[in-house]
Amino acid sequence: MLEVVAQGEALDCELGEPVLEAENLSVSIGGRLLLRSIDLRIEPRRVLGILGPSGAGKTTLLRCLNRLSDLVPELVISGDVRLHGESIFGRDVDVDALRSRIGMIFQQPVVFPGSIADNVLFGVRRTRRLPRRAWPERVERALREAALWNEVNHRLREPAARLSVGQQQRLCLARVLACEPEILLLDEPTSALDESSTREIEELILRLRERHAIVLVTHNLQQARRVADSVACLGVRDHAGELIESGRCCDVFDQPQTPELVRHFSREPR
Amino acid sequence: MRKGLDRAFTACVAACAAAVCALVLGIAGAIVWRGMAVLDWHFVSRLAAGGGGAGGVLYEILGTVILVVTALGICAPLAVGVALTETVYLEGREHRRTRRWLFSGLYAANSIPSVLLGIAGLIVFSRWLGWGKSWLAGGILLGLMILPTVSVALIERLRSLPRKYLEAAAGLGLSRSQVIWSVHLPQSLSGLVSGLLLGLARAAGETAPILFAAAVFSGAGIPVGIRDSPVVALPYHIFVLAQDSLDPAVQDHLWGAAAILLGMVFALSLLALPVRLRIHEEAKSA
Repeated sequence: MLEVVAQGEALDCELGEPVLEAENLSVSIGGRLLLRSIDLRIEPRRVLGILGPSGAGKTTLLRCLNRLSDLVPELVISGDVRLHGESIFGRDVDVDALRSRIGMIFQQPVVFPGSIADNVLFGVRRTRRLPRRAWPERVERALREAALWNEVNHRLREPAARLSVGQQQRLCLARVLACEPEILLLDEPTSALDESSTREIEELILRLRERHAIVLVTHNLQQARRVADSVACLGVRDHAGELIESGRCCDVFDQPQTPELVRHFSREPR
Repeated sequence: MRKGLDRAFTACVAACAAAVCALVLGIAGAIVWRGMAVLDWHFVSRLAAGGGGAGGVLYEILGTVILVVTALGICAPLAVGVALTETVYLEGREHRRTRRWLFSGLYAANSIPSVLLGIAGLIVFSRWLGWGKSWLAGGILLGLMILPTVSVALIERLRSLPRKYLEAAAGLGLSRSQVIWSVHLPQSLSGLVSGLLLGLARAAGETAPILFAAAVFSGAGIPVGIRDSPVVALPYHIFVLAQDSLDPAVQDHLWGAAAILLGMVFALSLLALPVRLRIHEEAKSA
């Protein structure tokens, strides 16, 4: 636990070139504004925590970053999101390829009917045309990265649904990692987990930070402090989510500038 | 008072269920009981003779299987196409009206009397296309007849698919067609199987659609080719024998053929049972 906090603080350091950035991003549905003018920078090998109350549009924001928002045709998006400087909303963008570069983990683990190995290979064998002989190696690598290999290596053919919820969430992470994404979007990945599983996922996030840029949506201030390098805090103003403050964890948590955050932090344990 | 009402309601519900069960068992029992006199290996392995009053029903069984399998082959891909169009390709508010038209059309098609399909088959296949009586025309007509039932069952199943699976698959970078192959179709298999079962059970017993364009009472064997290749089929056989049922020998064969048809429908249900149970187990554990 102490080690986790120490690592998290140690990486509160200088800014790099963003891999993904949102500029003036607004989202509405049926004429109702959900998100207003969001600006974000996501840097390589850093964890950006997105905080905010329920209804602030955290999940909507996350879904705009890999265009999963396209699955809701009624959403109207303005502004831009750029991956390595290129707009992800451009006409010639291959949305499917984009999503495999920007992997996403959901609040509740989603395991498909089938074995543990089938689940790990679910995306990669379809998107990368992975030859069959490469499957075992890919399964092992992804499960090791997700810190699940030692627990499941003797039962890869068992139904994935038999795993505990915490293991299922790590399996989902393994499934995403098997596709070798550059960026990971984690939408409250520990909200359905107990404390011990939450710690495992947090340690995993810190390990994955060495190779991926990570965006972590969380309600939990302590979790953000433990694993995030910087945070973006959303609030609700005039019935729409808005970025009210962002910056390095230590700055935002210790010296919040906006009255909403001051009030919020005074109520929550940090 | 409330307990008394509760008991009375439970008794009513139980009586309704018992009445339905008794009706089904009674009809099935009566058919098998009456057909007992001829039901043996020879009956299912010999050709009909003596105007249906002697011999067996081998070709009638084969003809029925040919029609049902053809209907299955015609209906299954069309139903999958209709259901995917409705639930996947016409998703979103802008297609709401088209979806409504499609769904209403399916229900309207389901209510078309089967004899009208038979007449349509006579006009289109026998006259326009010049097929005469053809097993393929019968299979197509039966396939079209059960298409609405199967499509609606599949649509309902696709609509009830948890959205989390679709989002997780899309989030991994799967294209729309890959999501269809890896999520929609595997997980809606139970809907397809149950819809096909309901439909095929109905198709196997239908006489009207095959009356004019596909079936004959005698003189047909295993069809070769399409044009002028009719089949003999159990429902049509039963239909003709029923008109001649004063002869006791014919009566025995009539009930025997009916029992075989009933057995085929039950066999279809039993064949699909393990698939449905496995799918339900998987869905439960997921």
